[in-house]
Amino acid sequence: MTTSADITPPEEQQRHGAARRPVRASRLRRPAVLWCAVFLGVLVLVALAAPLLAPYDPLALDIKNKLASPSVAHWLGTDDLGRDVLSRLIYGARTSVVASAEVVAVALLLGVSVGLLVGYLGGLWDRVTMQVVDALQAVPALLLALAMVAVVGNGLVKAMFAVGLVFAVSFMRVTRAVVLAEREQLYVDAARVTGLGRAHIVFRQILPNVAAPLIVQASIAAGTALLIEASLSFLGVGIDTTQVSWGGMLETARQFQSEQPLLPIFPGVAIAVCVLLYNLLGDGLRDAVGVRDPAAGAPARSARTRTRLSVVERRPAEAAPASAPADGTLLSVRGLTVAAGDTELVSDVSFDVRKGETFGLVGESGCGKSVTATAVMGLLPGAVRVTGGSVLLDGRDLVRLGERELQRIRGERIGMVFQDPVAALSPSHTVGHQLGEALMVHKGMTRKQAAARSAELLSLVGVPDARRRLADYPHQFSGGMAQRVVIAAALACEPELLIADEPTTALDVTIQAQVLDLLDDLKRQLSMSVLLITHDLGVVADVCDRVAVMYAGQVVEVGSTEDLLLSPRHPYSEALLAAMPHGAPVERLATIPGRVPPAWDWPSGCRFHPRCPYAVERCGEGRPEIADGARCVRAAELTLKGVR
Amino acid sequence: MKKLVVSRLISSVPLLVLLSLFVFGLINLTPTDPAAQILGVGAGEDAKAAYRHQLGLDRPLHEQFGQWVLGALRGDLGKSWFTAQPVTQMIGDRLGVTLSLALLALVLALLAGVPLGILGALRPGSVPDRILTLAVSLGLAVPGFWLALLLALLFALTLRWFPVVGYTPFTEDPGEWARSLVLPATAMAVHTAAVIARQTRGALVDTLNAPYVQALRSRGIPFRRILLRYAMKNAMIPVLAVIAVQMSVLVGVTFVVERIFALPGIGTLLMDGVVQADMPVLQGTVVVVGALVLLINLITDIAYGVVNPKVRPR
Repeated sequence: MTTSADITPPEEQQRHGAARRPVRASRLRRPAVLWCAVFLGVLVLVALAAPLLAPYDPLALDIKNKLASPSVAHWLGTDDLGRDVLSRLIYGARTSVVASAEVVAVALLLGVSVGLLVGYLGGLWDRVTMQVVDALQAVPALLLALAMVAVVGNGLVKAMFAVGLVFAVSFMRVTRAVVLAEREQLYVDAARVTGLGRAHIVFRQILPNVAAPLIVQASIAAGTALLIEASLSFLGVGIDTTQVSWGGMLETARQFQSEQPLLPIFPGVAIAVCVLLYNLLGDGLRDAVGVRDPAAGAPARSARTRTRLSVVERRPAEAAPASAPADGTLLSVRGLTVAAGDTELVSDVSFDVRKGETFGLVGESGCGKSVTATAVMGLLPGAVRVTGGSVLLDGRDLVRLGERELQRIRGERIGMVFQDPVAALSPSHTVGHQLGEALMVHKGMTRKQAAARSAELLSLVGVPDARRRLADYPHQFSGGMAQRVVIAAALACEPELLIADEPTTALDVTIQAQVLDLLDDLKRQLSMSVLLITHDLGVVADVCDRVAVMYAGQVVEVGSTEDLLLSPRHPYSEALLAAMPHGAPVERLATIPGRVPPAWDWPSGCRFHPRCPYAVERCGEGRPEIADGARCVRAAELTLKGVR
Repeated sequence: MKKLVVSRLISSVPLLVLLSLFVFGLINLTPTDPAAQILGVGAGEDAKAAYRHQLGLDRPLHEQFGQWVLGALRGDLGKSWFTAQPVTQMIGDRLGVTLSLALLALVLALLAGVPLGILGALRPGSVPDRILTLAVSLGLAVPGFWLALLLALLFALTLRWFPVVGYTPFTEDPGEWARSLVLPATAMAVHTAAVIARQTRGALVDTLNAPYVQALRSRGIPFRRILLRYAMKNAMIPVLAVIAVQMSVLVGVTFVVERIFALPGIGTLLMDGVVQADMPVLQGTVVVVGALVLLINLITDIAYGVVNPKVRPR
């Protein structure tokens, strides 16, 4: 009945393969997979043992008892010729199992071998085969099966062969895609492993890779085959009269359902339940083997409102530390603590961003810089919550605001720039459309006014030919130009604070400096403050007035950029500085041994002490506080090296 | 855009030729003798030979095929071996029924599937979402023709709200036309609605997690506005691809459902062709349905280009 409806196009699977796996779903579904497999096993057993299980001969006529309702003698009643419905259901399982098995076997055999061959040979073979395959896919599977029956005569095996052919197409596509992907890599390796034949490698690499998606496809193909078998039998063309099929039983039911309304129920339920089992098995396997179904989607967070709720309810009783923001402070983060469940991602982070300054937040990946920035915007994902502290913008605590009030602050008073500029723009809307959106929402402009202002903004950020480029789509921009667009969008309403989260990381080195210069210029022109998040101390040295160093969810040192660079007070800052490339090309670049521990595994005491060359026993105890700008119990004793 | 249409139209020609060659080959691989079937086994050899000559079956295969293709290009798909009616006319008479059935089913499926998918995507993992996921699994598993049977039993036979069988052409009585299509279209729509709901939900969940949604939120755009103006458009791109496949599935399903409601569509024609081994009818139907599916794919591709600027040729 369905052709390839439920079969995910392999291209899709390829594309989504890299996406993260829905962990929760796979965990939940494992038992479901087991149950489906068990039930389908029972189905096969019933099919095999039909003669033993069925109380009657499924073909035995008993006209006197025709169209009987369920009784002790006939548990599910009888049909128009007095044949026992239960026995026919049991024998029908045979037909359906045979049909499914044949389709899967034909599809596997044909699809995999042709897929391997075509992918392996490539070139003209590949193109011609794909043309034929496209032609085949233009025909509904049922139609093809019908044509087959018309030509070669009735018979389950023949009809199902045609259906197997249709499914071979999707099996072939999957196999071919894997072969092609493998070949790409193998060309590179081929030189090294000349000892082994290329074919040998191809087949040894490919078959295991293609197995997982094929198992999934096979399961769904089995279900669909059952549906098509039922449809064909229902039309009376699939099987001969000595075979019992659920679809055929439904055809009988169609004729006599006004006399015995129960007749259509049982075969229909049998079909639906079996197809459901095959599908659930396929879904479950898909999760288990990690082939992501784009249709099922991840059980991800809801993007809305939850942040706000959590923020309000989980606030600690006492207010934030009473250190009042100094004069000229625009943004004051006080004791900010963010957690996902019981895991603290950011602990007690405090820093101030003064008006007109560029403040750097620096540290390795996984230190909580971006989480901090996202918390400031009130845009934490659903499961992640602010559990303590405050974010004061001009003295107003953003953590306590509702979504509606936050919307008025985002864009209007705080703008944000992201790491990957192309991903930060909707691929299917023009740049002008996206630039104008904030203007329409915040400033109440019409589409036309917004477009005019957007063109001005684009010129401001140095996009040439601004007016014309408004009509372009994000993929038509280079990374550097796209980042300029994102900056323009963030600045549309002239916010007082711009949060730039690794704004240059995804860009070419030559472009990085331009974008940094642009940010610096704009800061002056629009007299705004910038909170710059980066892992690159070189960037900090270039543009930041003051800086906070973050490690493992904490601020470990805070102070002026000059002080940090010349005389760091925390061993981690020293290590970061040592790892910074500077001038001397012969010198070997220092690296920090070990890596940032994950949030659920933060060490007690100073979180840096396991990696710290100066660590002594007491570093592993207590919870060191920031004193005199550094979170280090030995800060006073140590003389640390800055940039030479 | 014009370039896309033209290039797709051109590339569909070899597909159609391949398809008809496939069917033609299939037909000629088999030793059916229409003369014997139509004139009866007892007919004399001379009469049978004359009949074969009349049908053009005594000519070489490539000539037969060439003849058929030339005819098909002029819109002449040959004549039925049994009724001697032109196949083109037979198909033309019935195409409307099948198409209106499939289209109506698609519209119903979209009306149900898209909003349900959105509902699930807004709160993944919530109770309504779980109910939806379950309903989708059921919808995918229930055979459309069984549903048609049950609907007919309940609404036509028992409640008598709709006609049990038969079809009223739109031109005769639009109201009756709609009444005669509601039950079969609904039965067909359930499966497609499930597919669409599933796809919409998945695509929208992915879209709502996309960085640009976060970026739009960071500019203070209200969630509803982001959902309606940005996320939906991007989420519809994969859904469109599914709709194309579903149209072809629906055309296939009509064949079965037409039988239940005795609607005079392509399906009944095809079934007659199959049962009587009426090759011109069979071949014509297969090729016309194939062309129809290709056309649907073309329309979807164009829609795809409208929504997705990346595939738009410049």
